[in-house]
Amino acid sequence: MAESGKSVFRIVIDGSQEAIFSELTATDRPLGAIFNARMHTTGLAPGGRMQMRTVSGDHVIVDGDVLEYDPPRRFAHTHRFTMMDDPVCKVTYELRAVTGGIEVTLTVDDMPLGTKTAKEMDGGGMSILANLKSIVETGRPPMGTRMKYGMFDMLEFVLPKKTKSEHWPLEKQREKEPA
Amino acid sequence: MKSDEMDAVFGALASEARRRILDVLKKEPGCNVNRVCEFFDIGRVAVMKHLDVLEAANLLVSEKVGRERLLWFNPVPIHLIHDRWTTEFSAYWAGPLARLKYRLENAPIPIQRKKGGHRG
Repeated sequence: MAESGKSVFRIVIDGSQEAIFSELTATDRPLGAIFNARMHTTGLAPGGRMQMRTVSGDHVIVDGDVLEYDPPRRFAHTHRFTMMDDPVCKVTYELRAVTGGIEVTLTVDDMPLGTKTAKEMDGGGMSILANLKSIVETGRPPMGTRMKYGMFDMLEFVLPKKTKSEHWPLEKQREKEPA
Repeated sequence: MKSDEMDAVFGALASEARRRILDVLKKEPGCNVNRVCEFFDIGRVAVMKHLDVLEAANLLVSEKVGRERLLWFNPVPIHLIHDRWTTEFSAYWAGPLARLKYRLENAPIPIQRKKGGHRG
């Protein structure tokens, strides 16, 4: 089993804490800060299920359980890339007011070191915060990111079959409940 | 990134000791202050001062766990600087050129330890 680690990413954003929190948790639009994914959830509260799906909704990229939801301060969920067979890690967003703006800290716990998940999380953590800052401060993600998102939509068909939403039911818990 | 924030980042990086501290933290995320001190011959107080400069520039995130202060390198400010001057196109060419330079010079980023320290 891979050793696990922790990564921390931090940024200060000039904007309202509510707006920033909403860019990380909204379910009514693609999240430009988070790879333009759409959050699907059974309810943003501890114990709820959540998934990050493609804009079309046809593929699940990340599957997880909501661990904490305390707007506009904290949001934490377990995190599994559907494309990889790595152990589950934990993602926490923490917001607090500091001089100069709102400090956003993204922490990844239990990251399986040396795996593809760890590599993706290291690059992903940086882009999420940089894009979040750009969206809140200028109204949209940086140009390079916007181009990338356009490509994501066009290239959705290259995603492996196992990431198709039909293989990843949102309400997994149902299986455990008595019939 | 505001210009005073950027000043803080460049100021913090304008020191070989502080750049090496970041190398250490990148290699050993979440290590404590004592561990960082093992890599340097300057005293603990001097190392702590460097850590404060790095933290003020947001290049370092520290967390108090019990009596220990654990440290992480925060790559986000450097990423923002990269974004400011690099487009998708220039990054495409700059990447291979940088790799070519590393390969020709055969030089990984060196991290030297103070004698007596040991790998965890």
